[in-house]
Amino acid sequence: MRYKEYNPNRVLEKAIELFWENGVNGCSINDLVEYTGVNRFSLYNEFDNKQGILYASFQLYRNRYCRDKFAILTKNSDISKTLLEFYMSFLENNNSVSGCYMIHVGTELADSDGIVKDNLKNYLGEIENLLSELLKRKGYERDKSKYLSKHLLGLFCTVMSFCLIHTKEEQEKYILKAIHLIILENG
Amino acid sequence: MARALNTSYGELIERAQKIFWLKGYKGVSVQELSKYLEISQSVLYNKYSKDMLFTSSLDYYTNTYSDPFLSQLRASTEGLESLKLFFYELIEALKNKTFPKSCLMVNTIVELRNENQDVVDRYDSYLEVLKESYTIVLLKSYDLGQFKKKECIDDYAEFLLGIIFSLSILYKINEIPELHTYIDEQLSFIV
Repeated sequence: MRYKEYNPNRVLEKAIELFWENGVNGCSINDLVEYTGVNRFSLYNEFDNKQGILYASFQLYRNRYCRDKFAILTKNSDISKTLLEFYMSFLENNNSVSGCYMIHVGTELADSDGIVKDNLKNYLGEIENLLSELLKRKGYERDKSKYLSKHLLGLFCTVMSFCLIHTKEEQEKYILKAIHLIILENG
Repeated sequence: MARALNTSYGELIERAQKIFWLKGYKGVSVQELSKYLEISQSVLYNKYSKDMLFTSSLDYYTNTYSDPFLSQLRASTEGLESLKLFFYELIEALKNKTFPKSCLMVNTIVELRNENQDVVDRYDSYLEVLKESYTIVLLKSYDLGQFKKKECIDDYAEFLLGIIFSLSILYKINEIPELHTYIDEQLSFIV
């Protein structure tokens, strides 16, 4: 048995950076070889091809980058504050790029790639559930929680695209007003 | 290639915007672009540039797709009901691929954000026209007595601005009836 001289998660971290920055179509396997420092043979051996690297990266993104963000939704402070903190956590990345990797890749590929589409759907479904659970804990009835979480998920999609071009102040203002329209007017 | 000489710039852009819409800006290399447009790479470099073709594609998109759509919206008379039909038509265009992949402006914002000033100028003015159109319809809607809080019109217009962005993601994972319900409910937030 040969010892692996690279760490697959380290490769995926680098791949996420590159896909996020240049788009998946904008990266060749050569770019990945160069950027990760792992040779083509090893990459193919581990992940089959570029698509394989992409699909594997979703899991790492969910588990590593989103864990703390999703955990915000289990907090018990004021609901508007909790939601604002959740949305803003995606925009205040230390990464060079802000927003959401799944939305970014989904925007590019979900129409043409069924696996990307399924991953996007599961990912957004998970967020919708977390939102719904949060609302239930806050005393909203089951149906109301479902209804509102659908629209808070819509707001998530908007924030991860529309708000990318805003300043931090504008982002907070937009998000708070939208939360107000969705929740407080319908509470 | 002789073909470049008798292809007008307008025809060139019509083709270029198709591939940019499907693949994004970074997803199309100069090589691919030259192959797709059937012009040599040297002509592409010397006479045009990828950036120039891209910004012209955004203009083509605005002129061909969004302007007619929006002037129709501005001329509408039924307020919120007209807005609903506007969004239903958008869903139709996204689902049946009249819009091959989301909205080109939304894609561009997600992909490029503020990397390039020419692009920023274009989506800024696109969003301004969009917001203005929503405001016009909201004012009519108010006059029809469809909602009460006139002082919120600006906030409502901003909120509506967000719908194109959420739809551009949600249409990928939802079916038409669910999307229609989503729109109906979003519009019900205007009170």
